[in-house]
Amino acid sequence: MSGGGPPRKRNFKIEAFKNRVELDPKYAERTWKVLEHAIHEIYNHNASGLSFEELYRSAYNMVLHKYGEKLYDGLQSTMTWRLKEISKSIEAAQGGLFLEELNAKWMDHNKALQMIRDILMYMDRTYVPTSHRTPVHELGLNLWRDHIIRSPMIHSRLVNTLLDLIKGERMGEVINRGLMRSITKMLMDLGPAVYQDDFEKLFLDVSASFYSVESQEFIECCDCGNYLKKAERRLNEEMERVSHYLDAGSEAKITSVVEKEMIANHMHRLVHMENSGLVNMLVDDRYEDLGRMYSLFRRVPDGLSTIRDVMTSYLRETGKQLVMDPESLKDPVEFVQRLLNEKDKHDKIISVAFGNDKTFQNALNSSFEYFINLNNRSPEFISLYVDDKLRKGLKGATEEDVEVIMDKVMMLFRYLQEKDVFEKYYKQHLAKRLLSGKTVSDDAERSMIVKLKTECGYQFTSKLEGMFTDMKTSQDTMQDFYAKKSEELGDGPTLDVHILTTGSWPTQPSPPCNLPTEILTVCEKFRAYYLGTHNGRRLTWQTNMGTADIKATFGKGQKHELNVSTYQMCVLMLFNNADGLTYKDIERDTEIPASDLKRCLQSLACVKGKNVLRKEPMSKDISEDDTFYFNDKFTSKLVKVKIGTVVAQKESEPEKQETRQRVEEDRKPQIEAAIVRIMKSRRVLDHNSIVAEVTKQLQARFLPNPVVIKKRIESLIEREFLERDKVDRKLYRYLA
Amino acid sequence: MAITGASEKAALQALKASDWHLEGAFDVFYSQPQIAVANTLHLEEVYNRYKEPDADMIMVEGISQLCNDLQVDPQDIVMLVISWHMKASTMCEFTRQEFIGGLQSIGVDSIEKLREKLPSLRAELKDDQKFREIYNFAFAWAREKGQKSLALETAIGMWRLLFAERNWPLIDYWCQFLQVRHNKAISRDTWAQLLEFVKTIDPQLTNYDEEDAWPYLIDEFVDYLKENGLVQHRR
Repeated sequence: MSGGGPPRKRNFKIEAFKNRVELDPKYAERTWKVLEHAIHEIYNHNASGLSFEELYRSAYNMVLHKYGEKLYDGLQSTMTWRLKEISKSIEAAQGGLFLEELNAKWMDHNKALQMIRDILMYMDRTYVPTSHRTPVHELGLNLWRDHIIRSPMIHSRLVNTLLDLIKGERMGEVINRGLMRSITKMLMDLGPAVYQDDFEKLFLDVSASFYSVESQEFIECCDCGNYLKKAERRLNEEMERVSHYLDAGSEAKITSVVEKEMIANHMHRLVHMENSGLVNMLVDDRYEDLGRMYSLFRRVPDGLSTIRDVMTSYLRETGKQLVMDPESLKDPVEFVQRLLNEKDKHDKIISVAFGNDKTFQNALNSSFEYFINLNNRSPEFISLYVDDKLRKGLKGATEEDVEVIMDKVMMLFRYLQEKDVFEKYYKQHLAKRLLSGKTVSDDAERSMIVKLKTECGYQFTSKLEGMFTDMKTSQDTMQDFYAKKSEELGDGPTLDVHILTTGSWPTQPSPPCNLPTEILTVCEKFRAYYLGTHNGRRLTWQTNMGTADIKATFGKGQKHELNVSTYQMCVLMLFNNADGLTYKDIERDTEIPASDLKRCLQSLACVKGKNVLRKEPMSKDISEDDTFYFNDKFTSKLVKVKIGTVVAQKESEPEKQETRQRVEEDRKPQIEAAIVRIMKSRRVLDHNSIVAEVTKQLQARFLPNPVVIKKRIESLIEREFLERDKVDRKLYRYLA
Repeated sequence: MAITGASEKAALQALKASDWHLEGAFDVFYSQPQIAVANTLHLEEVYNRYKEPDADMIMVEGISQLCNDLQVDPQDIVMLVISWHMKASTMCEFTRQEFIGGLQSIGVDSIEKLREKLPSLRAELKDDQKFREIYNFAFAWAREKGQKSLALETAIGMWRLLFAERNWPLIDYWCQFLQVRHNKAISRDTWAQLLEFVKTIDPQLTNYDEEDAWPYLIDEFVDYLKENGLVQHRR
């Protein structure tokens, strides 16, 4: 090498070898023999007697002098020979010792391989890459794989032994997990392909048949709950097995085998199992079983949807029976309570066992919506339930309890399709409550209104709020009346008037009724007073909605205070002037309509404990030929006797028809308004779209009937709000 | 124009055709067969023959007499066609304007000529377009004055008359249905749509589609037919 640098004395040059120093082939052979011997010694556990440095140098020299190939081939053949010997000794092992021997030899091999690689490091780094041969370590593993693991005598025996052990463990035996761990690790070390192809595939197949058989046995003899317990146990076992002695990658695979065999394949049978299937679990509130089913079924495709579907159809069926059951229809409060109980029950199941899964919540909601609307009296009944609670059911309940109950009722309310029917009934019932003063808690009433307003908007509740306002105003008016007119009234009967704004209160016809003179006088005074301050208004007495407190003295001088309806008061006052009166007399004098009069007389004469009148003949029903007498012999333990009934009750059939008719009538203008609104903005629209839009707009109040919508459209055509397109019958045009 | 009673247009045409010679124009005019001669004076005479003594209208008696002279039954559908030409606003009465204008548009100036024209008037009902116009005209014409809808009895009568010409097999069921189920007046929309129904839907209702936005009365009619097994409905 000559080259740049500062000029210096040319004393000597360093030159490359002019003559290549050839390694004596014999030297190469000798060197190889040394190494070969070393390899054997290593395998014989005699490595301590070897000098690492010397061996390294020998290998180094061989490679340097271009004998790398010889070295490599030598290594390969030596190791191969060695492994074949080892293979024989493994094959010879008996029974349980087979795996141990294999494992032990594997450990040895690894140690040896390490040492050999260290010795041959130089070759590994230079000769091996350039000649594209397998590196030493990898070579060692491959040789092990080919000559030991895949040796015909060993291969199947190995796999079968492993699988047998696993099976044994599954059957309850205790096996050497550490050894298993070693073996599977060995397979993984040899390459994931080895682990998967030589072991895992078979493992999965065998497991599949094992569980297929076991699941069949279980399902024949176990009920659903127990089966699921077993399945869960097996699943956990397998996961544990993997963590202990299988490769982590096997976990997902084996669990999906178990899931498929034990759960997916038997899903329907489990769910529908008689006496222990899903439905039974739901009925009996078996939270633990349900939770287990949920978490297991979640793992398989369509698992949850299967549960959901069965639950939904069960709910719908149960709900349908509940609402159609003639027994439960007799008592509306009971009807609603049962609905609430069902809802509570299933809410709890979903929250405790199904982890508040939203899809289940939705299934619950849609089922309730379905069956609540199957009974067209549901809106009425829900209102009656609220009525009952607000009258007496909430006595003693805390404010929170009240809120809770109301919120639950609101949930049912949301399911109603015919919210406008509910509104009508609620108004009626509220009116009765307010007028008879029978509300338990004003706050509860108002709270309910607020909830309805939040749900349905201001329009829904504006009239209801108007009713409350009227009550308050009436109170103020009465105070003022008595303040101003007390001398004028003197000793007359005390009047308490509720002035009702016609639009807010449910419309009632006001049939005639002749009030007793004393009452009339004070009423007229009030009327004069009121019209004096409120010019231009019209007052109509609603005699069918009033009450009266009368003092009565009976035969032996007992005094009682009777709380009666206005009609009843009119009837009773007649007896101040006569001891006995016929039905016809009473009818003539009071002018109360016949059906009301009969009901009134019945409550005065035919009810035990309240019979202040005596009827002849003593039959149960009122006939027009009856005669009535003041019942001198009336007794009661209470001083104050309540006879009047203004309690809200579920309607009789004809009343129901009437209400429904009124609701239908009310719906017509709402539908028309919706149609006009829609057409005004769209200008031109086809029939089906109109129906869809109208339904959407009105769905918060009720579900409009498409036939009714069609009739309304035609009515609007007749009144020239709309016209049909001349060419396309289905198209309508808005006429400005 | 004053002599022939022709319209301005016809007069101009005739004059043009004859090179603006007046006499030639008369020849042209009279030789053209389709321009019928309607002599206004004659028409006035005819009108006066039938009009009420104390009102400027032809009413029931006059019409009765007219029918007599025409040798037709007053219920004959040709009277409807004539009324249509007259653009009469109400049945059983014609104003002077309507009567004279109508005869002019038909192209006659005497009862005899009108009688001769009867067959061709009847034939107009065979024309689809004209039938539709006459049918729709009939609704307003048959109505009571001041009413928006047509009384059921009258409607049924009109329908029977009209659909006898068109031969609608379901006419009897339709009238039956109305009397049994509907019993109310008929709206204009329903009247108009019924013609469409008759024209497009076959008597077995095979091409009836309930999504087609027919008036609800027609939907109910279809239900009525099905309920009573009057059509074999295959879907």
